[in-house]
Amino acid sequence: MSREVILGDIREIMADVFDMDVDDVVVTPDTTADDIEEWDSLSHIRLIVAVERRFKVKFTNAEIERLRRVGDLVALVEAKQPA
Amino acid sequence: MTAPHAASLDLTLAGRPSARALAGIALAAWPEHEKFLLRSFGQRSPAVLDASETVSAAILKLIAGEEARFGEDYRWTCDRLREEEIFFHREGRYRLSTFAEAHAEVYSNDVYMGRYMRGLLLTQALWFNHAATTEMFLARVLGAMEGPFDYLEVGPGHGLMTAFAAASPLCRSLEAWDVSATSLEETRAALKKLGAAKPVALVRTDILRAEPAQRRFDLVVISEVLEHLEAPGEALRFLRSALSERGRIFVNVPINSPSPDHLALFSSREDVVALVEGAGYRIDRIELYATQGRPVETALAQKISVSAAVVGRPE
Repeated sequence: MSREVILGDIREIMADVFDMDVDDVVVTPDTTADDIEEWDSLSHIRLIVAVERRFKVKFTNAEIERLRRVGDLVALVEAKQPA
Repeated sequence: MTAPHAASLDLTLAGRPSARALAGIALAAWPEHEKFLLRSFGQRSPAVLDASETVSAAILKLIAGEEARFGEDYRWTCDRLREEEIFFHREGRYRLSTFAEAHAEVYSNDVYMGRYMRGLLLTQALWFNHAATTEMFLARVLGAMEGPFDYLEVGPGHGLMTAFAAASPLCRSLEAWDVSATSLEETRAALKKLGAAKPVALVRTDILRAEPAQRRFDLVVISEVLEHLEAPGEALRFLRSALSERGRIFVNVPINSPSPDHLALFSSREDVVALVEGAGYRIDRIELYATQGRPVETALAQKISVSAAVVGRPE
């Protein structure tokens, strides 16, 4: 799965978790919680768990703590995909 | 803390110096928490901000001289809660289900308990749902008492609600029960720091094992206790025997609120109504407040923590 496809899927998940219209969710690899009002510590957990479900992966607490940018999340999902 | 956010917090909490000071204590330990606090305080009505100031002033008395430690332990507690949140959203249940598990992991660990209790104290003002519930308690529970009343609180913890009740001119006597002698000593020390306006009888009682109460009270309060029990319905049924015929019970219980020692999961408003009505009470009032002031229905659908505060009377 390419990074572009993962990013697109994460954008859809973010729209659902943040209760936003998908067209209003503008994300790039550099997007952070500071760029999206609805992205706070609470919605962050739901975002992570929704991403885990979608991609059938599991993150460690340390990995979750380190996530800052959408690009970090994409890279983590990519790294956990089966070869 | 960046300047724009600091300015916003100053603006939101203008005229509420205690709440601003408490937010500052949390931010000193955890600068990245400012977005959460801005939203938490920004969602509050003037009445809830006033209640926030009242509870913040009380908390500042309790933490005087140890502000930095409390700020650090607030952050530590939020980290623990985040771990439980992750488990809850993955598995759809609380991690622990028995008192023995909670005792082994939490209650028997003095260091853990100390940090956890210090952290939880700050949430009483810093979290929207806790402050909103306090506003309800002050305005529509204590404020609604129509005559002299005898007060009982089960699990008084840091003593905040007991001290607020003691300040009511209508409050005639106060008693507080806890299963733990250590907790009662901590409550005793807290009430002294708070300068409780009336004496409070502190009684060691296990409401899951006690004989029917010998004394009746006009206002019984059980706040953030039932979720820690394996049999919350039994505890509420027992309290029926402690309530006078015309008395009121105030029940505050969280919905979808994972914590290291939460055992009883309530998933909806209906769960809470069934709990209270099933224990022999008629509900006069129920108010729900979601974390960060989110719309309650959205929070329930997304399984975000909601405080459910109920006023009931004997059926």
